Formats: sequence, structure tokens, C-alpha cells
Amino acid sequence: MFKKIIENSMAKSPWLFHINAGSCNGCDIELVAVLTPKYDAERLGFKLTGSPRHADIVVVTGPVTAQSKERVIRTIAQVPDPKVIVTLGSCPRSCNVFKGSYSVVGPLDNYVDIDVSIAGCAPKPEAIIDGLALAAAVLKEKRRAK
Amino acid sequence: MSIDINTILMYLLYALVFPGLLFSSVFGLWLAGVDRKVVARMQKRIGPPIMQPTYDFFKLLGKETIIPANAATTTFMLAPYVGLVSLVVLALFIPVGGFQAFGGMADIVVVLYLLTIPSLSIIFGGSASGNPFAGVGVSRSMVAIMAYELPLILVLLAVSKAVSGNGMLTFSLEGITTYQKLNGSLLFDWRLLPAAVAMLLVIPCEVGSHPFDVGEAETEICEGPLVEYSGAPLAVFKLSHAIKMFVMTALFAALFLGGIATGMLWLDIVIALLICTVVTIICMSFLHAITARLKVEQVFKFFWTVVSGLALVSLILVWIGI
Repeated sequence: MFKKIIENSMAKSPWLFHINAGSCNGCDIELVAVLTPKYDAERLGFKLTGSPRHADIVVVTGPVTAQSKERVIRTIAQVPDPKVIVTLGSCPRSCNVFKGSYSVVGPLDNYVDIDVSIAGCAPKPEAIIDGLALAAAVLKEKRRAK
Repeated sequence: MSIDINTILMYLLYALVFPGLLFSSVFGLWLAGVDRKVVARMQKRIGPPIMQPTYDFFKLLGKETIIPANAATTTFMLAPYVGLVSLVVLALFIPVGGFQAFGGMADIVVVLYLLTIPSLSIIFGGSASGNPFAGVGVSRSMVAIMAYELPLILVLLAVSKAVSGNGMLTFSLEGITTYQKLNGSLLFDWRLLPAAVAMLLVIPCEVGSHPFDVGEAETEICEGPLVEYSGAPLAVFKLSHAIKMFVMTALFAALFLGGIATGMLWLDIVIALLICTVVTIICMSFLHAITARLKVEQVFKFFWTVVSGLALVSLILVWIGI
């Protein structure tokens, strides 16, 4: 029973940690818009944390730049298990318009495993909430598999 | 006092079920949920369900616990549990609706000492984690403790002087409750009104709620001392925070609204718990929704001038016996 309570709580209380891997700030603003009164992601239990140690879902924005690559990998490694990695926007999956730039070493899936991708440039807040809800379900599955 | 098996069992029941660990956890988490919901409604949001802090607690229990490489492991792991235990002990001493588990054995001075231990446990845990954010948070928490301790002591002095009249000062919580049952609640004594307001301002600083949460400022220093905690120890810290809400509001109810006596103990307890909820909404949710975080020196200045001043006015009024 105790295991079941923990599993259900996992899906209901996903805390976010946001990493900017060289993003243009468009997706970052949309992510913050999700937490504002109009969309209010807190009603689903989402909370933005300041420390990767408290996080369950890591949200990465931006095409991974040469400067940020090592920091992204190290920060994601500091998140306690079970964790879910979500890419926000097109940049982390395909580098988008920054592809081919000398300073871009993405996409992100060269370095870490990605669980959920939210497409768009930048994605709508509704799409972000949808993707985050999916990530919460993945989090529960990961806990169950453990 | 003779010690037989029944007494031991009774004390175990007090410590573990009511008003100890189980009850204070459940009610504290519920208070934390009400706080978050009310703040959300005041900001025109739907807000998380009332059960949200409970979900957070169980989720954190299921997470991995990471101990940083340069942390002092024993202190780092023990600190949250020390804080939790001292809060549970505190819940046994504070009368809830006239019901006090360990009545007659301790007074306000013990409550004052026990109240510092949870804050100190956060400081010890934070400084043991070896994180620079935690270092900043620890120094800020220390300032916050110094800020609220003076007005808290002044409030307690004013209350005990009002209760004891011309005789010797009585610091007994039981004495304060009995006095209020005979003479009406102290909140309706106009001399103690400033002290009650001061106490309402001390509660959010003690609990670490907006606008006095300088030590755990999430947006600037990533929850300060808690930055390196994860998994079960973090869950225990969150639980301690919730129990602290219950303990501090119950202390307010005991000091200023202890005069409610319907003749039935369970009804008294229910009314006391309702008072706890209302006090939480007034002094935590309302302040949280309408204010932004103060700077460290502003918190210190505010508590040592305005809040201490209010408590001092009450103390003087009571002392000269108007």
C-alpha cells in the first residue's frame, strides 16, 4: 500500500527544474507563463524549484551550446532518481535555426536520454502543460519500474 | 509519580498519536495545504489541491537521497530528524483547547528553548552540506532567529504578567489556560492587543513564510540551507515546516484564545483547531499574498522596532497595571 501511495504522489507532485542551454529566451518565457494565474500549472502540483536536488522533471530549452554542454550534463546528473528529462521547443531536438553554428554542439540526445519532447518555436502554454502532464505520468512509470 | 505500564502506554499514545507525531503531521500538512490554496485563490488562481503538501511529502520519500561529497555526513543526515523530534515534543507541551499531554511539567521557558531547536537543526544541516548557497542561507536564518526571539520573549512576558497579576510571574502554560477559562480570553483584553498583533507577526517569521523567509528565499538562494537536501531528509524538513505551522498557531491559540470552554473536551479541541486554521490564513496566507520578500536587514529592523515596540507597549501597560 505504501508503495502505491508513493507512486500516486509521484504523478501528483512533479517539481520542475529549468535549464537554459543557450536558448533565445522565447521558450523560457512561455514556461513561466504556464505558472501564471491564467494557466496555473500549480493546480496540477507543478512547482519551479531552484535546486536540481529537489527536482523531478528537468526542462531543457535551447540548442546545446559548447559552453553550456558540460553544465547541462552535470546538472542533470545531480537530479535524484527517478527523474524525467523534458525538452522544450525545437532547439534541443534539432538545433532549429542554430544548426551548423560553430558554437552549437547539440542536439541534446547525443548526451542524455530524453523522455518527453514538446515541439514548437516557441510551444504554446497549453502544449507545455500537456507535455508536462505526460512527463508526470512517465515519472510514475519510472518509479513503478524501479 | 509511580510508573506502571498504563502510564507508559498513555504517554506513548500521546507522543505517537495525539497530539504527537501522527496528529500534528496530518493537521500540519493540512494547514500547509490550506495555506497554499488560500494564497492561490487570493492571486486568482485555482491552486493546488489541499492534499498537495501530503503528496509532496510522500513523493520526496520515494526519491533517491544524495549526500554531497564534501558534506559532513552524520550531521547532514541527523539534523532533519532532530528538528522533527523537538517539534513533536513541543506539540505535547502546548495546550490544544485546554488539553495538554504533559501538563504541569513544563512552562513557557521550555517552549522557548524547544522552539529554537528546529531552526538550529536547519542551520546545522545547511552548514554541514558544504554548499555556498546554504552558507548564505544559514547566516540569513541566524539573523531571522535573532529578529523574532526578542519580540517573542516580550510577548510571553506580557502574557505571563497579565495572568499573574501582582504576584510572582507565572510561566506555566497550564496557569495561563486556567486564568483565561476563569476570566475570559486574553485577546479581548485591550492591553494585550498590541502583543497579539506582535505575535501574529512573529509566527510567519518563525515558520519561514513570506515576507520574512529570508533564510529560504527560493528565487535568490535556492531555498538556502535545504539546497543540497533530497529524498527522505528533505521530506522530513518539509514535514517539520508543516508541524511548525501547527505548533505556532496552537501557541497563539493557547496564549490569547485559551478561554474557550464549552464543557466538552472534544469540542474545545475542534474549536482550537479551527482557530489554528484561521490564524494560519490571517498571518501566513494573507501576508504571503499581499507582500514581497523583505531584505535581511529590513526584517531585522522591522522586528526590533515595530514588532518589539508593539510587544513592549503591551508589557508596559500590563506592568503598570492599568
